[in-house]
Amino acid sequence: MKEYEAVVIGGGPAGMVGASELGSHGVKTLIVDENDIPGGQLVKQTHKFFGDHEHYASIRGFEIAEKLRGDIQGLADVEIATSSTVIGMYPGNTLVYAKDDDIEVKVSYKKLLIATGAMEKQLPFINSDLPGVYGAGAVQTLMNEYGVMPGKRFLIVGSGNIGLILAYQLLQSGVEVRAILEALGKIGGYLVHANKVRRLGVPILFKHTILRAIGDEEVQGAVVAQVDDKFKPIPGTEKELVVDTICIAVGLTPLTELAEQANCEIRYIPELGGYVPVRDERMRTTNPDVFVAGDISSIEEATTAMIEGKISALSMIEEIKDVNLEKEIERELDTLALFRSGPKSVRIRSGLKKFGVKQRPVPSSSQNGLQIGPAGKLRAIVDCTEEIPCNSCEAICKFNAIHIGENINSTPVVDYDKCTGCATCVSACPGLAIYMLKENPDTSTATLGIPYEFLPIPEVGQKMWGMDGNGNYICDVTVKRVIKNPNKTNIIYVEFPLEFAQMVKHTAFPQKSSPIICRCEEVTLEQIEQAIDSGATDFEELKRLTRVTMGPCGGKNCKLIVLGILSRKTGVPISELSHGTSRPPVKPVEFSLFSKGGDPK
Amino acid sequence: MISRASVVIIGGGIVGTSIAFNLAKMGVKDISIFEKSYISSGSTGRCGGGIRQQWTSPMNVRLAMRSVEIFRNFKRDVGMDIEYYQGGYLLLANTDEEVIDFENNVKMQRDEGLDVEILTPRQIVERFPFINVEDVKMGTWCPTDGHANPQIANIAYAFALKRMGVDVNTHTTVEDIYVQNNQIIGVQTSKGYLKTNVVVNAAGGFSREVGVMGGVEIPTHSERHQILVTEGVNHILDPMVISFHNNYYVRQTMHGSLVMGQSDKNPVQGIDLGHTIEFLEEMAPKMVHDFPFMKHLHIVRQWSGAYNVSPDAQPIIGESRDVSRYLFAVGFSGHGFMLAPAVGEAVAEMIVYGSSKTVDISNLSIERFKKKIKRERNVV
Repeated sequence: MKEYEAVVIGGGPAGMVGASELGSHGVKTLIVDENDIPGGQLVKQTHKFFGDHEHYASIRGFEIAEKLRGDIQGLADVEIATSSTVIGMYPGNTLVYAKDDDIEVKVSYKKLLIATGAMEKQLPFINSDLPGVYGAGAVQTLMNEYGVMPGKRFLIVGSGNIGLILAYQLLQSGVEVRAILEALGKIGGYLVHANKVRRLGVPILFKHTILRAIGDEEVQGAVVAQVDDKFKPIPGTEKELVVDTICIAVGLTPLTELAEQANCEIRYIPELGGYVPVRDERMRTTNPDVFVAGDISSIEEATTAMIEGKISALSMIEEIKDVNLEKEIERELDTLALFRSGPKSVRIRSGLKKFGVKQRPVPSSSQNGLQIGPAGKLRAIVDCTEEIPCNSCEAICKFNAIHIGENINSTPVVDYDKCTGCATCVSACPGLAIYMLKENPDTSTATLGIPYEFLPIPEVGQKMWGMDGNGNYICDVTVKRVIKNPNKTNIIYVEFPLEFAQMVKHTAFPQKSSPIICRCEEVTLEQIEQAIDSGATDFEELKRLTRVTMGPCGGKNCKLIVLGILSRKTGVPISELSHGTSRPPVKPVEFSLFSKGGDPK
Repeated sequence: MISRASVVIIGGGIVGTSIAFNLAKMGVKDISIFEKSYISSGSTGRCGGGIRQQWTSPMNVRLAMRSVEIFRNFKRDVGMDIEYYQGGYLLLANTDEEVIDFENNVKMQRDEGLDVEILTPRQIVERFPFINVEDVKMGTWCPTDGHANPQIANIAYAFALKRMGVDVNTHTTVEDIYVQNNQIIGVQTSKGYLKTNVVVNAAGGFSREVGVMGGVEIPTHSERHQILVTEGVNHILDPMVISFHNNYYVRQTMHGSLVMGQSDKNPVQGIDLGHTIEFLEEMAPKMVHDFPFMKHLHIVRQWSGAYNVSPDAQPIIGESRDVSRYLFAVGFSGHGFMLAPAVGEAVAEMIVYGSSKTVDISNLSIERFKKKIKRERNVV
């Protein structure tokens, strides 16, 4: 039996940061991880992470894993056991792990850090055992680690960050995401993550759940339905989606078995993710030799996991080496409190209270509205209005044009006198929530620079489609400039008619299937263009021929887009085109409204 | 725009484009047509779209029957699907006077060769169970009546004209017609002058004003009629239904929406295309009464158009006695769309052969107003 001062179980962000801290203080440490390469969930994350630069904000997950691996591999006192699964905890601070499935290894420790993370929750529905039903993380593993794409048309259940990120990664891989279902009436994850997939045309269906998978041998579709406030499906709202893969992303549940075996008290705290080890502010469990960090202690982000890993390691070092690390620990606890002070962490804060872990006082955060900035200047528009713990834009801006302030959850405020239009923030923003905009009144055009993480990269001069925030076609755009960035968040500058300056949020290559322009009457771009090609010269003629704008919304949604198409095809500026006559009712009303035959005068 | 036209047609509505189409089909070259706004901007683009043969005047019955023949082959001959649907017309009689009147009309219509049935209220309910017949005494039913999309029909003609080489000018106003010694010599438009010896006034709501340009008094006036459309629903209403007594017409389009209108009590005279809340307040209770399923149907839009009305509510078609080769096809009194295919054919024949051949419409000439006239009664 080998003896170590410290053993860390789990090579995810919490475990690796913990091991690295232990090792750099000269603690003889073993880190045990069941995968070939340590990194945990980070290795399959291709998106840039939120947070601050100290905690690897703006860096992609798998690259953070590489950095953390580099940190521990360089430490003489840290031993790494990969492909090693801890099978049990035994008396006398002993644990046993299976190396490569065939070697039994017994080790003992003075102090133990359990950072086993979490596993995906399952969702019961009819036929959920059909091939083609996956956990979201499983699909990420298949796709991003092994290069296997398990399907072509996906349904994702759950709009937490995992579901949203998976949807984005699937779209990057060129497959279709039919919908994301969310049982609640709002986005589970970060709004910026949701916006990334919405502008690519993925609908997020609120108050919806899956009832069953369709298929005999494999998934061929799904029946989904609306749910009421008690999450009960509402009869009559069922609809079928043709999908071949269903991904369940309804949350994670902490992996506490080893903590339990190590005699740590486990309590059910739903706010933290389910059964979790009871622990104090410094991550010590009810077993004084055992600490926890990361998702095992509360389901959160990688940033908080890393900070917790550091706090537990520092607490362990104090006792192993008999040193005073009070200052360092206090500093980390303050940072952790800052990260947890936003509205997205309400549940975590109330869950921790149940352990007696109180939220430390922090400077308050502020939520600021969307700034449009001075028209005509090339400038950054920061579409980040939800308080989340991230300040990568503020940190990257060399001109101090973006301010977040003391609390990292505050939303950014741009100082447009200082913004030079350099677009550094566009490629740094993990939420892809920043774009560049300039109005050009001379040519009646707008220039838009958007973050672009798809292949192929568009070429200058290419015609593309300009899409709105929900992935609807707005107008044709021309690629004017392409900036290829080393971090793979490229910037594509496109130009299009000025009228659409505030509407275009993304670009897409023209598709074979024509986009729907008028959603009320289901009129496609192709139908409108055909009507113009056959001789229609006026908006009113187009309307009569195709029914465009004639539905219940009366053209509120698409009239300008139709005028834009007509203008592009005929060369007549929008301002010179007739746009028809507005008629009552502005909103459809029932005949019964007039049942009395008129309001007496 | 060409500088010399064999025929100038004023008005790009269904009547003008139908005349131009028939002329072009007969081989006439250098036809110019002028529309002051866009195609279907006038009454055609605002009308209900019914195609009815059940009229009180034999002339209207004949013209409508000929139109139905043409509508049947419209897609083949003009080149576009105009949502033509022969779901019939159901005319409801609500009074004893109407019952007598309807019986006489049916006799005349049958003499003209039209297949019309008389239905009891019970028979009506059996066939069309969604109609409330508590106030209905009788109905007449012609299964070959129907409806189509008037806007698309109008634009279909215009597109065909462009393909056939007709000089189609939209957003071009005819400002004057030059006449010398009772002969037309040319037309001044907002885009320039062009020479011609033949002018057809198919100006719909503006027929009187265009008549004056050529020095011809035409006894028409325009009045506003209002109309509304609902959201689209599954097909439920096969026939177009009219109640003269309750003052409405209603049809379901192929899109699923229901289009309906009435004659306002004191219709606004002239070209006024506004809308009133009273129209909705008057329509809603009576429509819900006769068609209870409409109660929770949504109204999507209301609008209005001009009826160009003649003294006997029948069209005025023919050549002026005072100005040679000045023809008119005006005063359709709210039923121009359904008659347009036959009228276009007849007017083209008048221009080419000197008189209408397929249907003799000589008694629709303006000269009839010198004698005592009999008014068409089946008008909403």
